[in-house]
Amino acid sequence: MTLFQARSALGVSADDRRPRANDPIVAPEQTISTMTAMICAPPLREKWPLWWKLSLAAALLLVVILVIAIVWLFYAGVGVWGIAWPVVWGFAIINYVWWIAIASGGTFISALFYLAEVEWRNALNRIAETITIFAAACAAIYPVLHLGRPWLFYWLFPYPNVMTVWPQFRSPLLWDFVAILTYVVSSILFWYFGLVPDLATMRDKADAPHKRRFYGVLALGFRGSENAWRYYRVGYGLLAALMAPLVISVHSIVGLDFAGAATVGWHSTQFPPFFVFGALLSGFAAVMLLAIPVRRLLGLEAFITGRHFDILGKLLLTSSLCVGYAYLMEAFTTFYGPDPAEKRLFINKIAGELSPIYWATILFNVLTPQLMWWRRVRLNEILVVLISLAVIAGMWCERYVIVVMSLRRTHLPSAWGGYTPTIWDWLTLFGTVGLFIAGLLIAIRLLPAVSMFEMREVILRNARRDR
Amino acid sequence: MSQVKKQWRSLEELTQDADFLSRVEQEFPLLGAALAAPRDRRQALALMAASLALAGAGLGGCDGAPEGDLIPAVRMPPGIVPGMPDYYSSAHIEGGYAAGTVIKHFMGRPIKVEGNPFHPASLGATSPIAQAELLNFYDPRRSWGVTQANLPRSRSALEQALGEQRDKLAATGGAGFVILTGASTSSTLAAQLGALRRSYPQIRWLHWEPIGRDNVDKGIALAYGARLELKPQIQNADVILAIDSDLLSAAPGHLRIAREFAARRNPTRAKMNRLYAIEATPSLTGAVADERFIAGPRETHRVLLALAAALLGGASVEGPPWLDRVISDLKANRGRAFIHLGPDHAPEAHALVLAMNETLGGRGAVYTLLDAVTHASSDDSLSLATLVADMRAGRVNALLIIDSNPVYAAPGALNFVEALGRVDFTLCLSATPNETTAASLWVAPMVHPWEGWSDGRAFDGTASLMQPQALPLYQGVEPYHLLGLLLRPDPPKNLDLVRQTWKDQLGATVDDAWINALAQGVIPNSASPASNRPLRDDAARTRLPEPSSAATVLLFRPDPYLLDGRYADNPWLQELPRPLSKISWGNPLLISPARARELSLTNGDVVRITVDGVRMTTPIAIAPGQSDDCFVALLGFGRRRAGPAGQNVGVDFFELTGRSCGAPDIQKTGATEELASTQRHATMFDEGGVYARSGALSQFLADPEFLRRSDEPLPSFYEWKPEGPAAWGMSIDLNACIGCNACVVACQAENNIPVVGKTEMLREREMYWLRIDRYYDGPPESPRVNFQPVLCMHCEEAPCEPVCPVGATMHDAEGLNVMVYNRCIGTRFCSNNCPYKVRRFNYFDFADEERRAIQSRNPEVTVRARGVMEKCTFCLQRIAAARIVADREGEKASAVVTACEAACPTRAFTFGDLAAKGSEVAARRAGPLSYALLAEQNTRPRVTYEAHIFNVDKPKETQK
Repeated sequence: MTLFQARSALGVSADDRRPRANDPIVAPEQTISTMTAMICAPPLREKWPLWWKLSLAAALLLVVILVIAIVWLFYAGVGVWGIAWPVVWGFAIINYVWWIAIASGGTFISALFYLAEVEWRNALNRIAETITIFAAACAAIYPVLHLGRPWLFYWLFPYPNVMTVWPQFRSPLLWDFVAILTYVVSSILFWYFGLVPDLATMRDKADAPHKRRFYGVLALGFRGSENAWRYYRVGYGLLAALMAPLVISVHSIVGLDFAGAATVGWHSTQFPPFFVFGALLSGFAAVMLLAIPVRRLLGLEAFITGRHFDILGKLLLTSSLCVGYAYLMEAFTTFYGPDPAEKRLFINKIAGELSPIYWATILFNVLTPQLMWWRRVRLNEILVVLISLAVIAGMWCERYVIVVMSLRRTHLPSAWGGYTPTIWDWLTLFGTVGLFIAGLLIAIRLLPAVSMFEMREVILRNARRDR
Repeated sequence: MSQVKKQWRSLEELTQDADFLSRVEQEFPLLGAALAAPRDRRQALALMAASLALAGAGLGGCDGAPEGDLIPAVRMPPGIVPGMPDYYSSAHIEGGYAAGTVIKHFMGRPIKVEGNPFHPASLGATSPIAQAELLNFYDPRRSWGVTQANLPRSRSALEQALGEQRDKLAATGGAGFVILTGASTSSTLAAQLGALRRSYPQIRWLHWEPIGRDNVDKGIALAYGARLELKPQIQNADVILAIDSDLLSAAPGHLRIAREFAARRNPTRAKMNRLYAIEATPSLTGAVADERFIAGPRETHRVLLALAAALLGGASVEGPPWLDRVISDLKANRGRAFIHLGPDHAPEAHALVLAMNETLGGRGAVYTLLDAVTHASSDDSLSLATLVADMRAGRVNALLIIDSNPVYAAPGALNFVEALGRVDFTLCLSATPNETTAASLWVAPMVHPWEGWSDGRAFDGTASLMQPQALPLYQGVEPYHLLGLLLRPDPPKNLDLVRQTWKDQLGATVDDAWINALAQGVIPNSASPASNRPLRDDAARTRLPEPSSAATVLLFRPDPYLLDGRYADNPWLQELPRPLSKISWGNPLLISPARARELSLTNGDVVRITVDGVRMTTPIAIAPGQSDDCFVALLGFGRRRAGPAGQNVGVDFFELTGRSCGAPDIQKTGATEELASTQRHATMFDEGGVYARSGALSQFLADPEFLRRSDEPLPSFYEWKPEGPAAWGMSIDLNACIGCNACVVACQAENNIPVVGKTEMLREREMYWLRIDRYYDGPPESPRVNFQPVLCMHCEEAPCEPVCPVGATMHDAEGLNVMVYNRCIGTRFCSNNCPYKVRRFNYFDFADEERRAIQSRNPEVTVRARGVMEKCTFCLQRIAAARIVADREGEKASAVVTACEAACPTRAFTFGDLAAKGSEVAARRAGPLSYALLAEQNTRPRVTYEAHIFNVDKPKETQK
């Protein structure tokens, strides 16, 4: 069976693939069995089309570049990057914050909307969570690469040691280390736990013995008994309840990495919520950006419908407004407060030589998403992709403004400096993009892209309602 | 390299070479004999390897290995305690004049230069160059072998060649033999040259400095009819007028002059003097002046005429409007007023100024005239130009060049190298290979001043002895030995020569006096007596030469640290940010802001400059406060044959010197070159006053605390009380800081701070723990300059400490913010959180990449690895040493002097225990001018500043 045969078998014409305003959450003709067949089909296929192979090859090439960049970094030292004095933090921190914010979308959609018993999240949570774990993995690389002596990163652990030295618990970087570690570990657990019933389905559907064994081992012997489901529900609910506050805490603490310092441009009490807003904005943008091609390429139009586009678009718009509010408040507090250095920095941000980056941030993160007020825009796949892409780029610019532009303009004018990223900065950034895409491609190759057991509930509930 | 290859092409061939054998024999007698004996190739190879290892070790090898068995020391040599430093006096010679130094040794290895408090030209301070001499001493590129026509020769071959010269000298009576050397105050050298003249009446010598003080000396000769030395006594001067002056930066005795000047700059401690500066291009003297007036060469000419008219009488000359005020101030302070003229002005101008000073009645009070300190050339008519003419004409058949580099530094118009080719016998004695060694027939390695016996005299004539600090590292030849060889084949030892010179002076108990003189570094009562020679009558009527009529002229100034290029190989001096431009590793042409606007040039634009048909390209830098009538070229860069630090760094403007200076033609090329500067942002005006606070004396008198009124004590969430016995702190007097950078190099030497090189400098990764910030205040055309040394403030509430996730930076009980290098993992968060940005990060293994002898490092200070943050420690090693002494004596540690404080000529730094009753630092901290930098950050810094007061009546409008 080719990839798209399942769809044509259901009589879906090309025209119907476009999202529409009155789409239900699931196409009404879907039944549990058609849905299961459609979702299971791609991972079980023997051969995958050319687009997948080509994009995986490209992504792996970037991964190779990443490895080279890291080996060179460890060999030569962090001096290969553009960081200098007084700008001692650069791409590593920008990219770290950027990736960890991209990761937030999955957790938010999955955990928070699960607790709120929102039906539409079931079609998206698998994709969103997969985005989360790979984005979080990319983020987690950076703090280690960032260190001057990366081989000593484990000194951040409060472990008993012969030096009888503890880490410094007052440091936001330590909180950050703990928060990230917790977040990455629980994201992986949550993602995997949510996969278990589906892996069991895959095990049952797979023909080839090696596939059966593969999915069987991963399914941890889940057999769908009443007991198993009862415990499973409790466990999943608990994890979701744990994840929902985590997504808030991790981004608050990332905000504190900056706000906890007395540095000009960072020392602001609004940073923790501001970083949560920013994370949600980039999280939703990332989910939309990737769900749209996955929907088309894997033929998931029946499950990811116009309804989803509509809701995600509204969420993006909301978080964009929150971010816009934060930008406004930043300007307000700067001029309301007494510090001349803060004022000087702000004026430099909006009118200095790097002001295009600041205005790009405003344009991409606040102005462009305003198009989402229109339903026609929310349902237009191309526009949505473009707006999401703009937001992702805008969020990177925002971190550039926070990290680099603030450090360039310190209290003493004598210590002002500049920052020019080197080729190794860029290669590391592109390398992690490759790592992220490769991870996603391999995940959709091996795992069901939609949570089947949760979709079944939706379909059942719809069928019951229809009756 | 090529001669070495040639040398080692065939080992067998070499072992047959008599020259080589004699050289080996000289250095390793047993080995020489072993090599000469016939043997098989294998054995020869083994021996060659051994000799190479010994010769190559350089530092390990010393003159002549002992015959017989080597026995390890059962008892240490007397006086050396392992782990404890020793100090030996010496002197640093600059332009011939000595400034006393004390060299600190660890286990026999010199590691640091300190000033000699007993020496009148040092008073315990050093110049940055004296500090950096350490690297010259250990320079791995120093010459180590005699060469003839660039091929290695033995020392006996050289002695033989000199023997032939000796015979010729005897035959000709010295005709055609010239010795070319730098300015000298060495009495031993003078005695030796005198002996040469007695033996060979026609021998000639020339003391020539590329950047000399000929104008000054000639001016004095014009005014007084004799060779005299002018010694300023600035402590007595109430009003000083400095015209294009180098009084605080390069004049003989400048360290002492700066001390005397600064002693009267802080109105809380002394009655302020007043300094007016008139200059074409900004200098350190102009930077600290109360009022600075910009005048190009033509305007300065008018100023001198107007001054002469006003002070010496004669037809009145219309001067610039501000001059009347200066003149009336000078007149009002008769007997306490002093005019100083820079060495770039013509002798006639000097004579005129000397006459004015006589009229102002300050002789004996604000300056004295002494018998000449420097040694004169063999005859007055001999100059470099006449020497070159003689060389061209074939009237010179032997030229001995001692420690001078005329091929590089002679005026380009003279074309010295071409003339040199016409001399039959040229011998160049030089410590490092340079342009002149490349062009000389014979080249001999010279000892470093720390490797031999010598003497030198200070600006006031006080003599000091220079004793060897180590055996010659590279088998250098002493200049006295070389000159001695011209007299007889077995010249006396240097030590005997020097002792002979001073025997009479040291008196009856010569041995004790000699030892005392070595210990103190000065020979007592050796200062030149004051001369009471009267001014010549016609001095006041000296006619000034007309200045160039060109609208714009090209002025040449020595680089403050490379001087005439002799320190171009020294990485510390190359990297040292120049005081005003903050530029290192380069010498862009300096252009005034208005001229730059006119030519639409910005910093780093490359221009083509044409002078007298000679063309060269150079980047430019805009110099705020420079006259529009001149471009300024800094000499000493662009060396063509130097070490890796100096070769082809910057532009060699010596090419353009000595030419008829019409208006130089400047054309923009469109290219740009990056300038390595430590203050990179677009130059800031008007805001510096917030950080380096300054005000007018009148304001101070009205309200002494006017500059700290706004600093309210802020509450703190955590009140930290230091528990330790001492509370270390520092007070920096901005009134005293002249921006000379001595502290910066002293800190670098003391704390093993690596040099990073131009590329890393461009990437803003310099490693200085102590930097001198320069703020401009006022319009770019004529700004006021404020210097502010910034180092770790050792904040009581240090923002760097809570943000380090591994606790690598902590407070100790005595209030020091300490850095635990071993614990640092390099998050760099501390640097982000430091409001003063005094932390430096090892982006690469800078210390390891330095080409620097490991022996030259301070063993008391950790050499930092890659990936580690570092910063000022308040010279913790010195505090620790004081603590050990205190523990032993059962007292509290006190009297710690940091490296920056020790080197500072003006005592801008005061370090000490804030908790100690009556400590100077506590007193200064409590003074009315004292303030904390960025006090609103509430970091409670242990370093405070005393605000800069200018002796003016009207506050600047921009003053906040």
